[in-house]
Amino acid sequence: MFDFLIQGFGVALTPLNLGLAFLGALLGTLFGALPGIGPINGIAILMPLAYTLGLPAESALILLAGIYTGSEYGGRMSSILLNVPGDAGAVMTTLDGHPLAKKGLAGPALGLSAVSSFIGATVAIIGLTLFAPLLAIVAVKFGPAEFFALMIFAFASMSAMMGKDPLKTLIGAVLGVLISTVGVDSGTGVLRFTFDMPELYDGIDFVVMIIGLFAVSEILLMLEHAFRHDQDGEMAPIGRVMVKMSEVLYCKWAILRSSVIGFVIGVLPGTGASVASAVAYTTEKRISDHDNSFGTGNMRGLAAPEAANNASAAGSFVPMLTLGIPGSGTTAILLGALMLYNINPGPMMFREQPVVVGGLIASLYIGNVMLLLLNLPLAGVFARVLQVPRWLLVPSVAILAFVGVYQLHSDLMAIYLMLVIGVFGYLLRKFGFSLAPVVLGFVLGGLMEENLRRALSISGGDAGILFQSKLSIGLWIAAALVVLVPMFAGKLKAKFLPAAKAS
Amino acid sequence: MPQNHMSKAKGLQRWLVAAVTGSALLAGAVQAQAKPPECIAPAKPGGGYDLTCRLAANGLQEAKLIDEPMMVSYMPGGIGAVAYNHVTGVRDDDPNLIVAASTGAALNLALGKFGIKHKVDDVRWVGALGVDYGAVVVRKDAPWNNLDELMKALKKDPSSVVIGAGGTVGSQDWMKAALMAKADDVDPRKLRYVSFEGGGEALAALLGEHIQVFTGDLAELKPQLDSGEIRILAALSEERMGGPYADIPTAKEQGYDVEWPIWRGYYMGPDVSDEEYQAWADRLKALSETESFAKLREGRGLFPMAKFGEDFHQYVKDQVADFQQLSKEVGLTQ
Amino acid sequence: MKLAADRILSLLLLGLAAFVAVQAWQLEVPFSYDPVGPKAFPLILAGLLAVLAVVLFVRPGASGEWPTGALLLRLLFTMAVLGLYAALFINLGFLVTTALVSIVIAWLFGAGPLKAVVGGLLLAVGSYLLFTYGLGISLPTGSWIEPLLGSN
Repeated sequence: MFDFLIQGFGVALTPLNLGLAFLGALLGTLFGALPGIGPINGIAILMPLAYTLGLPAESALILLAGIYTGSEYGGRMSSILLNVPGDAGAVMTTLDGHPLAKKGLAGPALGLSAVSSFIGATVAIIGLTLFAPLLAIVAVKFGPAEFFALMIFAFASMSAMMGKDPLKTLIGAVLGVLISTVGVDSGTGVLRFTFDMPELYDGIDFVVMIIGLFAVSEILLMLEHAFRHDQDGEMAPIGRVMVKMSEVLYCKWAILRSSVIGFVIGVLPGTGASVASAVAYTTEKRISDHDNSFGTGNMRGLAAPEAANNASAAGSFVPMLTLGIPGSGTTAILLGALMLYNINPGPMMFREQPVVVGGLIASLYIGNVMLLLLNLPLAGVFARVLQVPRWLLVPSVAILAFVGVYQLHSDLMAIYLMLVIGVFGYLLRKFGFSLAPVVLGFVLGGLMEENLRRALSISGGDAGILFQSKLSIGLWIAAALVVLVPMFAGKLKAKFLPAAKAS
Repeated sequence: MPQNHMSKAKGLQRWLVAAVTGSALLAGAVQAQAKPPECIAPAKPGGGYDLTCRLAANGLQEAKLIDEPMMVSYMPGGIGAVAYNHVTGVRDDDPNLIVAASTGAALNLALGKFGIKHKVDDVRWVGALGVDYGAVVVRKDAPWNNLDELMKALKKDPSSVVIGAGGTVGSQDWMKAALMAKADDVDPRKLRYVSFEGGGEALAALLGEHIQVFTGDLAELKPQLDSGEIRILAALSEERMGGPYADIPTAKEQGYDVEWPIWRGYYMGPDVSDEEYQAWADRLKALSETESFAKLREGRGLFPMAKFGEDFHQYVKDQVADFQQLSKEVGLTQ
Repeated sequence: MKLAADRILSLLLLGLAAFVAVQAWQLEVPFSYDPVGPKAFPLILAGLLAVLAVVLFVRPGASGEWPTGALLLRLLFTMAVLGLYAALFINLGFLVTTALVSIVIAWLFGAGPLKAVVGGLLLAVGSYLLFTYGLGISLPTGSWIEPLLGSN
């Protein structure tokens, strides 16, 4: 049954393919580390290279898959070090990763995220190897009604992030959802809030949004700190560079849970690393944040989204390899790469192209080991980015932001939009908002509206469709529990804890 | 210990620099020097336009019809309108630039979605390298054995069949469904239509039994057709296609006069000189006649199409006029 | 009377909610297959935002520290520099604009003139080399340089 895998390791372990896997991992890490240049662009840029070098299909795919997984590793670096997410999946990583870096724990944070990424990816690749065909059948059962219920669940879990200012968390999320409504309406094709600017027809691009919100506002805040000579303006001390075994063990359940969550969400077509890491983070906060330290530099708050975004990257290969349906933007471009080689991924691929499939899966295993070996020692090197003086670091952030957006859009309007969003982000932060709810509202809100309306189009307006399948009923119950249980738990605690103390 | 660590870090840094330089040489080898030919994909990486650009880029290079590798850049926004603006306004005379387009662009022009001021004659349509056709697709266990049975069910109760596809009202995927309905005197507005984010998601919804009919594209469905997961009730082509599609009847031969070709082609700026324009038309024509390109085109899932230069320009112009008429008929515009 | 920052914010949000509601209301929808349509979501969001804004007005938080005087000027100046960077990015080209912007920002962050100039130049050249040769990303060379190269 696993002949294809054995064959695949035979292919992947040739010196050329090992070298390509390494090159892919390295370039991917670099691409991921640069804000805005995520996996999609990395692959788009290097696809012609693979083709021009005349690589055979499996070698090209090994190189591109290395870039894909590598950039999921790299995405966390700027999240942790600069509070600027490298790509969509790395937004949640800023929440606890950056506070850790500020405490002088940048090295261990990078190390821990490498280990979490490795475990997340490995769990997902094993899942991919064992259950791919089976999972594909379940994945398509996930229709608009189920996606809507999943989004309700995701928003319900966000209540865990209310923190000290629930009002502003809510306002932030509403603003995020509002921004997601800009552009061509996905149902009727009507233009909403585009003000006759064609640049807005496709909606506000995720990369423009996060680079503006995080990077540009960060530049302004750093200027403020430097001007006031306050604590945040100082360089973070570099403490220890390696992560401790005890720290990894402290996070072991967080990592495993999030790996499974990430894989499952990755398998669903239409949701990607951003949703996976968000759900993993909020779930983990619910389960294990006993002292309310998530968001202030809790190791588990870092490990959870990191494990999840790598797991979802591997998970999104499932629908691509088994159904020929891309599970994410990145697998869409990999699918295109395969088509250039006259290979049409789909239900027959495991049978007709065992060398390609086996080689790809084997190279995912190998690539991950390489990434871990590459990233653990590099943690110490990259942590030194924080030692770069502000007057050099800030222009670098500006350059990365501009190149990232320009590369993606070849258009000035996108850069102006990024600057406007940057001012908006700065104001939000000055008003005491956290940016994460805005981003989550933006990501989840669009999916929620689209899928609600799709579900109602299917049923001809009957809302009963939302509660029809066992899957969606399960998700609705889960959503209710996520909100209700902590409320009761709080009351119970209040009731019994003083008694316990007294006795 | 810190000393030791420093030297270790230095070593790594040096090694990293070496690795980057190594890849630099690799990338540099394919990267162009001054002014290489360029293809703009008016979308994000990975979509149909990206593949249209790569079809030209890889084909032209393999056939040695260009001296330097063609660069592919992305200009998403406004379902292609941003790139249209760019080429009509900024790089209106760039002889090295082609922009990927398709039937969808013609439809958007017809519907005025590129802005009222943009007309089909604002650019120079230079050629098409391939074409796919619309298809009416159902699951293998669907109750309808042919198009006629499906259409009868639709006629009886338009809301009894859930149709889905990868585009909004007014998109080309929707037009296929609307034209099918029109062909049997069913009001397209009475359909039960669900729009997804791209054909892939719609196909997943079909396989997951969330929708019953998917108006997709023929060649894109080959893997699922091979595995027997789906049945194609009709191809929206002029005549039957060959090879693996030989058994699929056209809508026309089943009595419903609907055709929907999805061509993949290119346009250039309005002020490109006649010589340069003709040179590109000739280049694309020469490419379409090579054997290696035939393979590339087939891999991309496209059927041959040979329209270049003024011939192609006229074709697009006529199509836009047709679409304007059609959009009135299906109730999209007045 | 000095309003708390949150009160000003709540008024802004109310304005935004009203704007969104009016804009959404005016959408012309030829027809929609789902009963919700494109208007409902923005309208509900506008309503929600308005309610939250009123709550914020009634219960504003602490005002925080807002930039004034020299700092405000510096922030505005930085945004202006970034805006100029964008405006000139394509025509002047990546190398020139990046060097200039890096020098100005370095100076804003307290580097001496020599440090700023050397650092800015190195950053521009270094990042150009990294992007073009290391990662294969094409950056604008600037329209002024093309006649010098003699191409078209």
